[in-house]
Formats: sequence, C-alpha cells, structure tokens
Amino acid sequence: MAGNYSNESMLDLYIFETSNLLEQLEHSILASEKSNHISKDDVNEIFRIMHTIKGSSAMMLFDNIASLAHSIEDLFYFIRENAPREVDCSALSDIVLEGVDFLKVELEKVKAKDPVDGDAQRLKETIADFLNQLKSQNPLAEKVPASRKETKAKSAEKPKDIPEKIEEIIEKIPEEKSKYYIAPNITKTPAEKSWYKAVIFYQDGCEMENIRAYTVIHNLKEIADKYIFTPEDIIENDLSAQVIKEQGFTVVLRTDKSYEEMHAFFMQTIFIRELKLEQIEDQEDEPVMNQHENNLTPQIPVLQTAEREEKAEKEGQLSSSSSAQQSIISVNVVKLDRLMDLVGEMVIAEAMVTQNPDLKGLQLDNFYKAARQLGKITGELQDMVMAIRMVPLSTTFHKMHRIVRDMSKKLNKEVRLEIIGEETEVDKNIIEHISDPLMHLIRNAIDHGIEAAAERVAAEKPKAGTITLEAKNAGSDVLIIVRDDGKGLNKEKILSKARQNGLLTKSEQEMSDREIFNLTFLPGFSTKENITEFSGRGVGMDVVSKNIQTVGGSVSVDSTEGAGTIITIKIPLTLAIIGGMNIKVGNSRYTIPTISIRESFRPKESDIIRDPDGNEMIMVRGECYPVIRLHTLYKVNTEVTEFSQGIFIMVEDEEKSCCLFADELLGEQQVVVKALPYYIQNFKKDNELGGCTLLGDGNISLILDIQSITRLVKK
Amino acid sequence: MIRALIVDDAAFMRLAIKNMLQNNGFEVIGEAANGLEGLEKYKQLQPDIVTMDITMPEMTGLEALPEIMKFDPKAKVVMVSAMGQESMVRQAVALGAKSFIIKPFKEDVVVRTLNQVNALK
Amino acid sequence: MAEMIAEDFLEEDTQKNKFLTFSLGNEIYGIEIKYVTEIIGIQPVTEVPELPNYVRGIVNLRGKIIPVIDVRLRFKKPFMEYSDRTCVIVIDIEEISIGLIVDSVCEVLVIPEDEIVPPPSVNGGASNKYIKGIGKVDNSIKLILDCDKLLKEEELSNLTSTLSEGVIS
Repeated sequence: MAGNYSNESMLDLYIFETSNLLEQLEHSILASEKSNHISKDDVNEIFRIMHTIKGSSAMMLFDNIASLAHSIEDLFYFIRENAPREVDCSALSDIVLEGVDFLKVELEKVKAKDPVDGDAQRLKETIADFLNQLKSQNPLAEKVPASRKETKAKSAEKPKDIPEKIEEIIEKIPEEKSKYYIAPNITKTPAEKSWYKAVIFYQDGCEMENIRAYTVIHNLKEIADKYIFTPEDIIENDLSAQVIKEQGFTVVLRTDKSYEEMHAFFMQTIFIRELKLEQIEDQEDEPVMNQHENNLTPQIPVLQTAEREEKAEKEGQLSSSSSAQQSIISVNVVKLDRLMDLVGEMVIAEAMVTQNPDLKGLQLDNFYKAARQLGKITGELQDMVMAIRMVPLSTTFHKMHRIVRDMSKKLNKEVRLEIIGEETEVDKNIIEHISDPLMHLIRNAIDHGIEAAAERVAAEKPKAGTITLEAKNAGSDVLIIVRDDGKGLNKEKILSKARQNGLLTKSEQEMSDREIFNLTFLPGFSTKENITEFSGRGVGMDVVSKNIQTVGGSVSVDSTEGAGTIITIKIPLTLAIIGGMNIKVGNSRYTIPTISIRESFRPKESDIIRDPDGNEMIMVRGECYPVIRLHTLYKVNTEVTEFSQGIFIMVEDEEKSCCLFADELLGEQQVVVKALPYYIQNFKKDNELGGCTLLGDGNISLILDIQSITRLVKK
Repeated sequence: MIRALIVDDAAFMRLAIKNMLQNNGFEVIGEAANGLEGLEKYKQLQPDIVTMDITMPEMTGLEALPEIMKFDPKAKVVMVSAMGQESMVRQAVALGAKSFIIKPFKEDVVVRTLNQVNALK
Repeated sequence: MAEMIAEDFLEEDTQKNKFLTFSLGNEIYGIEIKYVTEIIGIQPVTEVPELPNYVRGIVNLRGKIIPVIDVRLRFKKPFMEYSDRTCVIVIDIEEISIGLIVDSVCEVLVIPEDEIVPPPSVNGGASNKYIKGIGKVDNSIKLILDCDKLLKEEELSNLTSTLSEGVIS
C-alpha cells in the first residue's frame, strides 16, 4: 500500500504542503515570541500544523519526520488543554524553531530523493523535558477529559448496589456510580423481552477495538433497555482494546427484538470477525458481569459564540491559505522554461513574418491589419508567460525575519527588520539565487554593521538597529537594497586589508569611495574579523557577488562611516523582451534598446568638431554631443569610417547623451534578451554589453548597454 | 458508484484518500478543507458517504458532525483520526459517526470500512 | 565519423575510461567523454570585444549561446585557419557549456586507468596545468585534458607552452 503513496504527484503535494505549513509555523512562532505571548489561536494552529505533518509524513513513511512532529504535537496538545500560565515563550520558540529546522532539512532530503534519515532524538528529549517541566509547574487541573482520568483506583472498587428505580441517565455527568444503562423509551412490558449474550471478535488489525465496541453500545441503546458489557472500561482505558482482541467483547442485554434481529444488528458491526449470540436465562438482579462505570455520553465541547467571533475576526491566514492551496497548481519549472523559450522564439518568428524582406514595398493593408492583431496577441501572450514565472519576493524577504531573530538573539543586539516593496516580482529562477546572498548580507549587517546597544546609545542612535530590505523596479531591472544604520565601512581598514592581500591595482589616491568599497567583493578579501561563525568561513562578499552574477546581476556598496551601509543588488529581469534597433558595423551586428534612442541621422562632415585631444563631437540643434565610433570601440573591421557614409544614432541614458557611429541601420524589432554566457561575463565585468540576441537569420547580435557606454564619455 | 465527500484540511490527505477511493470504484464528488465547508458541501451535494477529519480549522470535525446529522439524520459519516485520538473518536461516534479510519491508512481497511458503512441501513 | 562517436558516448553506463580524442598539430589529446555533449562543425562566430585572444566569441547552437575557445591559441600554439575539418567539441562542466575549436576529431578510445600516468614536470618544475595525465594506447601517447583547469580564467598568466615541446605522439 505504501507504494501508492510514493508516486510523483503525491510526493510533490506532500513537499508543497509541508513546506507551506512549516513557513506558516515559523511565522506564527516568531510573532508570538516577539510579543512574548502565545495566544490560544497560535497554540491551536501550531498543534494542527504538527498534527497534519505527522499524518502525511506517516503516510509517506517518513517516520522520523512523523515522530518529531508527534512530539511537538503532544507538547502543544498539553498547552492547549491545560493553558498553563507560565510558559517560557523564548524557550518554547527555540524548541519549535529547532524542530522547524530539522523538518526543513529532512524535507530537502525528500526533494533531492536522498535517504530521509535525520535523527531528532536529542530534540525529542529536550521537548520531553520541557513538557515535564510544564507539567510539574502547572499541575493537571479539571480540564483533562474524563477518559484520561486515572481509572486504576476505580476498577479495584467493589460493585455497588443496583438501584431498583429505572432512571434516565443520558444527560448525567459521568460519576462513580454503577448502574445498568437504561434506555429512555421503553414501552414494551418486560414479559416480551428476552436476554441475550453476544460475544464479538473483531478482525485483526482493525484497531481501536474499544471504540468499535463503544459504537456497538451506542447503537444498542436504541433497542435494549438493559445491558452490561465487558471489558467495562472501553471508554477510559485504551488498553481495553487489547482485552477485546484476546477475549472478545461481551454484551449481555435485554431487548424485545428477536434472535434474528439481534443477530443482524450485531453482524452490522464493522470489521466483525466472529459473533457468538445466544439467548440466555432471564437475568434480574444478578448480572453475570461486574458492575461498571458508565460514561457513555462524554462531554462535547461547545464552541462559545465569543470564541467563534474571535476566530472569524482573526486574520484567516490558515483558512485563506488552505483555500489558496486549492487554487494553485504546482508546475515543473522546466516546463515553464520551455514555455518561455517557445514564446521568445515565437516573438522572433512573428517579426520575421511581418518584417519579411519579401514584403518590402508591397501594398498589403489587410495583411498588415492582421499582422497587427497577431502582434497584439503575441504581446499579451508574452506578458502572460512572463507573469506566470514572476514570483513576489515576499516569501524570500520574510525568511529574513528568522535570520534577524536568530542573529540578534545570539549576538545580543537589538535589531528590527523593515521590509519595503515585497510585492515586487522577479522571475522564479532568480528567487532561488537571491535567497542565500540576501541571508549573507543580512547576517553581515547584524554581525559587523549594527553596533551593540550601548555603543549605539552613546552615538545618539536609537537603541535598536534597523535593517531595511527594499525591492523596487527600475526599468528592466529589479533593485534589491539592503540598508543598515550601523557603523558603516571604514575605508582605511579596507585599503589596508587590500594592501595586505595584494589586491590593489590602482594607487589609493586615485580610487573613488565606490571603488574602495567594491574591494570587499574581491576574492581573498575577508578581513579577519569578518570570519565569525556566521558570516565568514568562505562565504565572503565575493561569493555573494558571484551568486548575483550567475543570474546576470550586479552588486554595489555604498557607505557612510558612523551612519550605515547600503548594498544594492541589480538584477535584470530574465528573458526581457525589448524593442531594439539592429545595426551593422562591419560584419558584426549590434542592437540598441529602442527606449534609449532619441534619433538617428546621417551627419555632415562639417558638423563634426574635434577638440585638442582628438575627441570628436557633433552639434545638434545648438547642443554638443560626444561621438563614439563603434568600429573603434569594438575594434571591428569596416569600410565605413567616413561619417558621411555611415549613420549616427543619438542615444541617451538619464542625463547623459552621445552619438554612436555605425555603418547602417538594419531595422527595428522585438528582441529576446539573452545573457552572455557566464564564462564570457567573467572576463569583462564592466562591459558595455547588456546581453545578446538571436537575429532572424541565426546570427548573434550584441546588445549595447547604453548606460555603460555613456559612462565612457568624459564630461 | 458510491458518491463520496472528502473533508480534510490537508490537501495531501485529501489526495491520498481520493486516490484510494477512486482506485476502488468510488466516485469522489467533492472535497472540503474545513468543517464549515464540509457542511455546506454536504447540503449541496448530498453524498452517499463522507470521510471527515477531526482536526480542522474554522470548524472541527466534531463540530461539523452534529450539524450534518441535524441536516440529514441518515448521514453516513466516517471519522478520520490519528492514533491517540480515541476520546474524540468516541465523541464522534456518540454524535452519530458510523465508523472511523485511522491514519496512517491501510487502503483495504479504508475501502472495507466505507463499503460496510455504505451498506448500513 | 561524428555519428559513430555520437552513438558511442550516448551510453551513460559505459562512459568510464572513455575518451574523445582530437588532434592539434602533431599531438593528440583526450577528453573524458562524460563532459562532451556534442561535436559540431565550425560555424560563424560572433566576436565579443575585449576578450583574450583564445576566446573567439560566441556561437548560436540551436538557440543556446555558447562561447568558443580556440584550443591552439589557449595552448599558445600558432593559429591555424579554420577549414572543413575544423571541429567544435561542445563540453559541459557544472552547467557551463563551452565549445572547443580543434583541428579535427579522431575517435573514442577506451584507456584503462592503469594506462594513464601523471604528466611529467617540465620547465623546471612547473607542471603542465591543463594536462591531467598521459595515456598510453598501443604505441602512441594521448594527452588527457583537465577540463576544469581549461575553463578557469585565472590561469591566464600561468600558461605554459611545454605542451609543444618534446612530446612524442
């Protein structure tokens, strides 16, 4: 049977659901810890989450996961049932979070199809100790449901006298009285009744036989006006199930039903293996069995109206997420990648059709009308596909709360995390690569940036440090900014460390602040103090930088000593499809993003100005613009070196503009931006290329990054 | 085909039970993620049989069960419980549940229970 | 030739000890087949400015953009014009794909581990960084390439030209 549960969709759902639950759990416990109070709702929620994880993990045969979940579930069951006054929230959070960490690790193993073999023994012992301590500090009170009461004392009691009077006891609160259970609606005279004895044996492995026996009794009250049974403690003693397994469940009853009817009644019992039914002598005051305690109508908790409303008002996090779960399907990212590629190819193909050279000069109104419609639909499709892959950064950002909490606790610093713009979306691919670098940056900020409380107060800063995590869109990039109000970077220290490690390639005076700060990204930089338990040990800023570069992004640092540090991560949105103007320089092809183009024109030699250094400029409508010869910049062989034979394209980026000189314009089209291979990017960190694209004829065109080109121009 | 309604807050559990039922000739006509939804769906779909988890947000199985029984005294509800929840199962039976199944499930036990409950008059 | 090689290296299980051999001038080199994803003929290369001379640029391989390096130039041998026989061996290491431009591709050989000896140290102790070992097949020598080292750029200045000296094929 277990085999059925290991098929792909079950596994995926298990992983998906369990991950979500763990996140919710972490969120809840962190919030509780912050307010130093754990509400009833939170206790319930955590109990339920652990209960669910226990159940599904057991189904998937991940017993160590189920077992730990069970321990935590028991702990919260106790807290829920007994509402102890004194709960050490901090210690409780530590336990829960440790459990969450263990479970997360095991879940990763599940995802990777590795053996799920973690040992949580130590943690379970800690939980057991914590629970015992809670129990001793908060002695069990009346809230314990009747079934868990100690029954040993009672079973040793002698049988009491049977009351002569028949009484309705259906609503009576369970007490130590012994009596027959008398059914409420007896109309027939005793003479028409008969006594029966039934012995029921259940099928092997049907479990909870005592409850099944209870079911029988429950159903019996409709038709028998007197009965007793053994084992008697089927309700309060779960071990009675064992007795039933071995000796069967015996009922002696009085009813007006016939033997056949009783036989049919008992045979309806689910999982019955064997029934021995016999009519017996009238039993009056001497039952063959011992008296027993009746607790056939246990109290059923009724939800108070007030609690109900409270529940409804509470942010329906769990309920909305459980219904959200129902409207989400999980899709293999590989399929999404393929879809993206296809859409990209379709965009190019569409351009090749509508801009086909064969159509040049032809008057094709209907065709172009249809082509426009096609273009519109393609555009929408491309937007939709990109939107599917886009995922908000909120989950990633929220993970940081945990880091902040752990670090500030360990280092004894007060730090708060502010999150802005979490709804900003990035491609799914990127999310995976962003998480680790962000964690490292935050750890760094707390470890080295934020000062100890005393120091901060002395510097007239608020006692608690603030780390701001912000995300926003900037053109076709997404910016993620990590800002702290700590002590900032010390240029001297950086320079001296760089000097020590032989990392300086320029003289120190010539370096701008920015360049000094960027030294921290060089491999081999880590200052010794940086290598603490958390942020050092090979996870230096250079690794952060590399990770970001893997997704085609870049990192930069700015800092003010005493005030804080800002780290900016710029990530291009993958598979951006932009409008581009293709141009030719010799045999090479380049593409300029259309939004950067102001105009293009054929210059006259007479408009060109040369300054004493040989730099070329051109006057356009009274303004002077620097000229950049692309064939010189990129060392391309071309015959077009005379300005009058080529074309000028005026490009601008924010405030700077310049004119690019190329052979000719090839035409405008939608281009799919592909990043340059990582291998190539490594050679040139600051290149003026923003990627490349495939032209319709199969050739590759390099996309110019106008921002870096304008930077080349000296003011 | 026996028409079944599955009520459980864990999507995983719902899928597990659904697979089991569908493999054994049942028709799963609906799912619900909490007791309240379960009650509504019961009224709407009037299934032959219901599997109902005990621990759920919004409205637990023990709260939804009497409501369902009130709506349909002949309702055939099978409680889904974990080991160690004997007292709650007892309560469920007292409230009208016809039987119960225990996690982790054995497919044949589940199927037999549901078939037998369905056969009850 | 290419088809025969293609068949050979598509069988995962039998990839151990199998090498794809290619020639550069008088020497024959081998690459572990597990790195090779395909072999293509030379095709138009798009130059990318300001790269080391051995990185010729990028090519379009069915939509995927792959950098290509000229192995001759990487090993500081004289450049040879590309012809019909010039091949590009596409290798894949840790998700980085690179095309290696070589004179021509030879065959797939099995070279058992005991037939591979460590490379000699020449030039006063500086061992040849790109050679992982020397494989002996019949009477000829195949130089087993260390692909990892080949792809790491920081080795730029430490190139040795010992390969072209005193090696028997």
